[in-house]
Amino acid sequence: MAAAVEGRPTTGRAPWLVTTDRELRDLWLTGRGLPLMFVYALLLSITSYLVATNQALNFLEQREAVSLTLQVAVAVGALLVLLGAADAVSGERERGTLESLLLSPAPRRALVAGKAIAALSLWVAAWVVSIPYVWYLGHGVGVGGVAVASGLVVGSLLALFLAGYGLLVSTLAQSNRLSLSVSLFALLALYAPTQMPSSAQQGWFGGLLLRADPFTSGLRYLGKLVLEGHSPGQDVGWLVGPVVATALAVGAALAVAGRLTLDPGRRS
Amino acid sequence: MSGSPALEARGLRKSYGEIPAVDGLDLEVEAGTVLGLLGPNGAGKTTVIRMLSTIIRPDAGWFTLAGVPQSQPVEIRRLVGVLPESAGYPRGQTGEEWLTFHAMLFGRPRPDARATARRLLAEVGLADRGGTLVSGYSRGMRQRLGIARALVNDPQVVFLDEPTLGLDPIGQLQMVELMERIVRQHGVTVVLSTHLLAEVEQACDRVLILNRGRVVAHGTVAEVVRSAAIPRRGLVKVPPELRGRALEVLAGAAVDAAAGDGDLGELELRLPADVAPETAAAKALGSLLDAGVPVLGFTLEGGRLNDAFLAVTEGA
Repeated sequence: MAAAVEGRPTTGRAPWLVTTDRELRDLWLTGRGLPLMFVYALLLSITSYLVATNQALNFLEQREAVSLTLQVAVAVGALLVLLGAADAVSGERERGTLESLLLSPAPRRALVAGKAIAALSLWVAAWVVSIPYVWYLGHGVGVGGVAVASGLVVGSLLALFLAGYGLLVSTLAQSNRLSLSVSLFALLALYAPTQMPSSAQQGWFGGLLLRADPFTSGLRYLGKLVLEGHSPGQDVGWLVGPVVATALAVGAALAVAGRLTLDPGRRS
Repeated sequence: MSGSPALEARGLRKSYGEIPAVDGLDLEVEAGTVLGLLGPNGAGKTTVIRMLSTIIRPDAGWFTLAGVPQSQPVEIRRLVGVLPESAGYPRGQTGEEWLTFHAMLFGRPRPDARATARRLLAEVGLADRGGTLVSGYSRGMRQRLGIARALVNDPQVVFLDEPTLGLDPIGQLQMVELMERIVRQHGVTVVLSTHLLAEVEQACDRVLILNRGRVVAHGTVAEVVRSAAIPRRGLVKVPPELRGRALEVLAGAAVDAAAGDGDLGELELRLPADVAPETAAAKALGSLLDAGVPVLGFTLEGGRLNDAFLAVTEGA
């Protein structure tokens, strides 16, 4: 047995680093990374321009303008991660390139981890792009630093959650279309509680729903800090939902990644 | 380890739902052999390759690859190279980048991986296209790139699943020549799944024919043809004026022959099924030549792998 693998090269980089390197190059040099960032920056530019300069249309108080821009930056940045993660495995499957990856001795989790990191890089880039907008709007009312820091924390949690969720769906989906559809449908469902009338948000069930939904509770937390001027520790209970959801999604994605197969519809 | 066959499988089974894809495969392939894996569409060839390369798990049975049991899939993956059927290629990477990436996945440091990529690109005739995006490659170039990828880990066993699929006749010929060159240079064991039976006759030491997941024939090409017991016939063309003389000579040599088209001087030889067709034909032709009857043409029918393939797969 030892003779069979004797002399085989084993001194290279860890497989997850190799995969991460490749995925990052694919995403940012030849893939969708830069076009997505361009669209993201355009969206933030329009949003911040309207809330900051258009006096005829702008009826928002300055802190509300910061909060709105911050929430758009976090939500859309996290959405980009979902798009990247949902395509990661099912896209390889659909393009016929997954089999050659599975033929390597790299652990399945290392392959998926590389893809997860590449998807998360979309959030990192999005956040870097959004800092000037948030800072510019927030520094005049003294919340620029808080907005940037809290946005980073909440956005990173939501990005991790959506990366885990997107990879989970992508690993199990037979087609890229199915993966993207299921992922986006779930994202819409997560946004739904933020649109509920205030009467539906009352009572124990309404409160539980708001706190259990990672998106709603995360964005509420940002609002508490930016709009109401609370300290970061004062409303930290609103982060329980995002933390638990992130742990569950990442844990499930890691568990499923270890059993990554060519054709998830067939028992293999 | 040294005495182990390159591949050994016993009782391998795989079903997809109620449909058996592979049903009790027994196989033993010696190192350095080129095995032709044949069968009609849906016979189970790709499933066999995917089981033996650890992409899918068999429902029953076991196999070893270079002595490594199936319970050690990571070690097996270090020992095999695979060109998958309908393999996809990353359109946004160059051939060299893609090969370097895969070589690194097998644990090679980047400089070593890049050197391996360049060496393999040269071996498959893509040295001058290594820096071109894969999206600019023709179908044949992509297949050659796929073969190069199958070799990045210096495998002991290479599986080529329909490497000529979608290629024009020239591309098919080039692919077979490439495969023969790789066998010579790397000394690997090759399992070749293909529908090109003429190339299998030319390139393969042994043949295994599957039909509906079962092995219906296994052995050398000659053994498979013989075991198919197809009625074999030879058509000999002699000068029309010597047709009668030729029939007398053949009768004297105990060869079952009958007159064909008299105007064209054709004779039909009915060759015995229990003797290799080449041997029986040589005996008949030799007797004619010894008797001074010139042989203007000879065609052997029913003695080719194609005939055996049709016989064992249509009848099964």
